Amino acid sequence: MRPMLRQWKFVFSLSLLFLSVFATPLSAAISCELNYPAGDVARLFPDSNGFTTSDFSFSGRGGAPLLRKVEARLGGVPALYAPLDVPYVLYEVLKGKKRVGYVHGVNQKGQFGVLEVFLSLDLNGTIKAFYLQRISGAWGRKFTSPRFGKQFVGLDLRDFEQYDTVAAKGTGKVASIANPAPEAKTDFLGILRALKKNLVLMDEFFYSAGKGAQ
Amino acid sequence: MTTQNDISLGARGLTRVYRRGSEEIRALDGVSLQIRRGEFVSFMGPSGSGKTTLVNLLGCLDNPTEGELDLAGKSIFGAGRILPERELTKVRREVFGYIFQNFYLIPTLTVRENVALPLAFYRKPGAEGEVERLLRLLGMGHRMNHLPGQISGGEMQRVAIARALVNRPEILLADEPTGNLDTKRSGEIGEVLQDLNKNAGLTVVMVSHNPTLARLGGRLVEMRDGRAYES
Amino acid sequence: MISKFQIAYQNLLRKKARTSLTLIGITLSSWVLVSLLGFNRGYENALDHDIDNMGYQLMVMAKGCPYEAATMMLQGGAGLRYIEQSMVDSIVNRPEVDEVTPILMQAFFDPDKGDGGGIAGYYGIELASYPGMKPFLRFHQGGWFRDEKAAEAVMGYEAAELEQRVVGDMILVPEKNVQLKVVGILERTGTQDDGTIFVPLKTLQQISGIDQITTIGIKIKTDADSTKLETALYQLPDVQVVSFTQVKQTIMKLISTARIMVLSIAIIAVLIAMVGVVNTILMSVLERTQEIGILKTMGAMPGDIFRLVWTETLILCSCGAIAGIALAFVFARISDLLMRSVLPYAPVGELVAIDLKLALLTLVTIVGVGLASGIYPAWKAGRVRPLDSIRSEG
Repeated sequence: MRPMLRQWKFVFSLSLLFLSVFATPLSAAISCELNYPAGDVARLFPDSNGFTTSDFSFSGRGGAPLLRKVEARLGGVPALYAPLDVPYVLYEVLKGKKRVGYVHGVNQKGQFGVLEVFLSLDLNGTIKAFYLQRISGAWGRKFTSPRFGKQFVGLDLRDFEQYDTVAAKGTGKVASIANPAPEAKTDFLGILRALKKNLVLMDEFFYSAGKGAQ
Repeated sequence: MTTQNDISLGARGLTRVYRRGSEEIRALDGVSLQIRRGEFVSFMGPSGSGKTTLVNLLGCLDNPTEGELDLAGKSIFGAGRILPERELTKVRREVFGYIFQNFYLIPTLTVRENVALPLAFYRKPGAEGEVERLLRLLGMGHRMNHLPGQISGGEMQRVAIARALVNRPEILLADEPTGNLDTKRSGEIGEVLQDLNKNAGLTVVMVSHNPTLARLGGRLVEMRDGRAYES
Repeated sequence: MISKFQIAYQNLLRKKARTSLTLIGITLSSWVLVSLLGFNRGYENALDHDIDNMGYQLMVMAKGCPYEAATMMLQGGAGLRYIEQSMVDSIVNRPEVDEVTPILMQAFFDPDKGDGGGIAGYYGIELASYPGMKPFLRFHQGGWFRDEKAAEAVMGYEAAELEQRVVGDMILVPEKNVQLKVVGILERTGTQDDGTIFVPLKTLQQISGIDQITTIGIKIKTDADSTKLETALYQLPDVQVVSFTQVKQTIMKLISTARIMVLSIAIIAVLIAMVGVVNTILMSVLERTQEIGILKTMGAMPGDIFRLVWTETLILCSCGAIAGIALAFVFARISDLLMRSVLPYAPVGELVAIDLKLALLTLVTIVGVGLASGIYPAWKAGRVRPLDSIRSEG
């Protein structure tokens, strides 16, 4: 009996192994969500006391024409994987019952892996905080440091519209953002692109549509 | 069962005894009579006199305890033979149509469907055509698509009569047909029965409390204590 | 003219609330039954698919406490036990063996992955033997590595999507900070391969600083005696032999208790629904005793009445079963998600597999049980004597 029991345990563990180590989320398209929403939202919006979660996607809000419009605003670079279906998660931040702002994240291609870039925004679309949830590479710490993130506080979409994130040229506040890791230019530009994409999406889906302001 | 020209009901010594615990109730006590084709016979009497018991036996709705019954010369009950329900049904559907005090129309079927109902179980040749013909004959041609809840009591009994006649029975058994109707409607139903008897040659066997109605037919039989007395 | 079917149907409509409630009971029990039968089949099919996709039927792994290995893998570190690569030679020459492929599974801790860090798993494979075992693997982009020592990687579709990689991009092996170039991205397979990163075996060994392997995949010749091979392999020192038939059987056993329990619940649900049917029809018969008596005066035989009442049962059970099956089809995805949240291991693929055959089986079962339950009320109705039911003044 004992050898059989060991064998059974072994095979059971093998199954768990398959599942936990090698399995990945089976969603049709990968969304960008906070790993720890309760803690993250509280940290990114210190004067809040709650939030609600909703999601939106291109296919639900305007389809291919809207996607092309957004891509044009971003400099014409098409998105990578299943862009129409990608669900964007929006965290609506509350103080009491009143909406006070948003937290929203986007995925962006980085040098060695995906960049997950989150912004907390007030009701006018101004950046209140920057959060880099994921980056691959030895220089990761340089971009996740508070010093780097502070540079974005107070900026909004108008600032990013003066900067071409594809050509990496432009004027205004974005152009003067310092790159803490010159060896990681791809990721630095990727972060700027992600920020612009974040703001453009929020503008298209919410602020311009009159849903942002209270 | 084949119909013969001089169909008649012949009862000899019909007796019906009910047992309730140890008590024996003699509801019918050796009744003998004959009903000829085309007759309109009414049975009257107080409650418990046996009139309905007799009509039930004549109409093959029940088996007698003793006695014999012939239908057009063919023996139905006799020599202590008990007919099973199947056999009684076969006799009933060939020969008899029934109407009762409570109409018993199906509330979710239209007037036309109620009349056609017997045809779902047994259909004599040409019976389909009888549905609308009978309804018009009985003055219900304009109500064919109505539901029973939408017509009066008198009209419901007319529909019940049409239903009873759809398979062209030889004998119509009517058990207190006007029991739930007012005087006016009772009179109308009485006229309908009289009309069917005189003009269509239908044999009518009726039980009624109502003396006016009972005297409509040519023959009145009074029942007392399980025995029949003809006036 | 009116038919017996119409009469039965109209009878059911007379008590709409009662009929509706009975129908709901049958619908729910049918839904449960067909979903569970679908799950029974779907799970096994999905498991078969997962296992077939492995490409090989037997695996040889290092002996050692399996729980330890699993825990260490889950919490980080290369806690797996290893086997010598030379073991491949002692296996490949066996008469029953068609092909073998050595595999190294390694995990590295990635502090940037997930909340507080997570595992990044890599599969070191031999270019000469592994792709040959899985000829059905298709590439979305690119292809396999150029040689056995290349600093290259092939990613499963979802692994690539997660990291937003295309062919030509670089990935970084955490802990070791080694860069690999993505040369191929596989098409979606619906299996574990979608989340896997494949690297040449020698490359991964070099990165990990070891020259051993963790697994040997063995493809058996078509007519070979696999039991004999397994027994022989058991003789090898310090190894475990796992056949995927065994894995499948074990997993099926793991969930068999749950399956039996849940199937029992489905059967009980069906029986309860049938009690509801019997109650409804019986009440209906008792309420209509006079009417049944009248039908008999109209010429209805006992058999006619029996069939009439039985038809009511048939209508109730058929409609309820069809509604339940339709709901099961519509909500199959939700049932799938529900099952996944409950099970210890769920293979990739459709867990609740409902097809026409299964739907018909459920329909026949529900209607059959219903008709059997309906015999008593129908018989009772057939036995009504017109005289007993029609009120008389005697």
